[in-house]
Amino acid sequence: MTSNIVAVWRSRSVLGLLVRRDLTVKYQQSVLGYLWSLLEPLAVAATYWFVFGFLYNTKGDLDGAPYLLFLVSGLFSWIWTSAVLGEATTALTAQARLITTIKVPRQVFPIGRVFGKFFEYLAALPVVFLIAMIYSFTADYHFSWDLLILPFAILVQGVFLVGIALLLSSANVLLRDVQRFMSLLNRILFYSAPIIYPMAKVTESGMPGWLLRIYEANPLVGIAQLHHAAFLPAEFPSTSLLATTLTECVIIFLAGWFFFRRVEPAVLKEL
Amino acid sequence: MGQPIIVADNIGVKFVRSRRRNTKLRDFFVQGGKRRLKVDEFWALRNLSFTINAGEAVGVIGRNGTGKSTLLKIVAGVLIPDEGTIHTYGRVAPLLELSAGFSNDLTGRENVQLVGALHGMSRDELKEKLPKIIEFAGDQVASAIDTPVRHYSSGMRVRLGFAVIAQLPHPILLVDEVLAVGDKEFRNKCYKTIEQMLSDGRTLFLVSHSEGDLKRFCKRGLYINAGHMEVDGPIMDALDAYNGLVRT
Repeated sequence: MTSNIVAVWRSRSVLGLLVRRDLTVKYQQSVLGYLWSLLEPLAVAATYWFVFGFLYNTKGDLDGAPYLLFLVSGLFSWIWTSAVLGEATTALTAQARLITTIKVPRQVFPIGRVFGKFFEYLAALPVVFLIAMIYSFTADYHFSWDLLILPFAILVQGVFLVGIALLLSSANVLLRDVQRFMSLLNRILFYSAPIIYPMAKVTESGMPGWLLRIYEANPLVGIAQLHHAAFLPAEFPSTSLLATTLTECVIIFLAGWFFFRRVEPAVLKEL
Repeated sequence: MGQPIIVADNIGVKFVRSRRRNTKLRDFFVQGGKRRLKVDEFWALRNLSFTINAGEAVGVIGRNGTGKSTLLKIVAGVLIPDEGTIHTYGRVAPLLELSAGFSNDLTGRENVQLVGALHGMSRDELKEKLPKIIEFAGDQVASAIDTPVRHYSSGMRVRLGFAVIAQLPHPILLVDEVLAVGDKEFRNKCYKTIEQMLSDGRTLFLVSHSEGDLKRFCKRGLYINAGHMEVDGPIMDALDAYNGLVRT
């Protein structure tokens, strides 16, 4: 495994190249270009803000913390996850031409998708800071050192997504409708984590302990809470939730890595 | 002769014939249990061993579907053998499947930059060599270099592909049936380039059906039939064995 990781590390320039190509192809085809990566999350955030912030007044469950800030801090990170779930499946099939003619560690293709989507997330991140800044002037809200949680949250999520991308991209070559299955799963997973609703709603719902444990076993829950906590420290996950999430992310990463290695010969024949 | 540069030891590649290309999850679950599809495996290549030394020019001969391209892909490292091992001591510049791996929606220039960089050319090298590559590919390609490769003719693609590969400094050159597609003028250019490369001491691995091309460059021939090595010797012997088979 180590020699393999070294090979991928050596190909990081290739990785950068693929990511840059993906981003240019995506944005040169539209007039709005870079603004698209802002427009989409903003439109989604505005919709949820209207429904859950205004109509259902979720504010009450957050101890008075600003709902909009809660929403965008989780939603933008979810959009990263969601985009990876959707597009990592085709990371190998869509680039079959390159993969079957040029020898590079094949892992760079799915990993490239994770990074590509990460940069789109990064492009939207200033919006979260802007909203936090507005609240710090107008409401009883303050930035704190908890912002340092953000890089950690991103790292955990990145490790998780790389594992997922390796799994999905190679599985999709052997079973082509993994892709369709994922678009269904994508919608369900969105509601499986505290993104639009606060975690407190779940813990105070009176659901039985075993059900809560199943809920918390979803690594997306811990990841979402970490992202919220960077701006709203009260949301920081409990020790047990944090430990579960970290363990799972590492396991998924390793599983993805080994699965990819295992099916690589078969994948290359099928492409 | 120089050092060994490609060492293949008992290589075998297995394909599954009955495997449908687009297996669906449903099939997987329905047939996942006991009712498995009868697995019809066949070996595209088996028990292949050879050593190629630096500076050699080797021609690979065989009928269609006998595993020549599969062998080339293994040497290029884009296919992993199920049995045996292959070692290449030095980077490989491959021209496989008549295109160098160009993507249809990128322009010729972007493709050259992408493929060149994936093959390990640095940005400065690329900048320096881009005019050479375009010039080598010919006027037709030069005037279309900023349009998507989708609109290129197959001849133009091959020319641009060969132009990129020819500029790589890698010691091993793999060529799969490329010379057959270009026109006469381009073929002569290719001949010159290949001769130049051989005199530089690079190693050539050529798959071709053209006896002329094979005799022109190669001293050694591998004749492959039904996935097995029939002849590994002087190119004339390999050609004779191949012709003998085709005539009968």
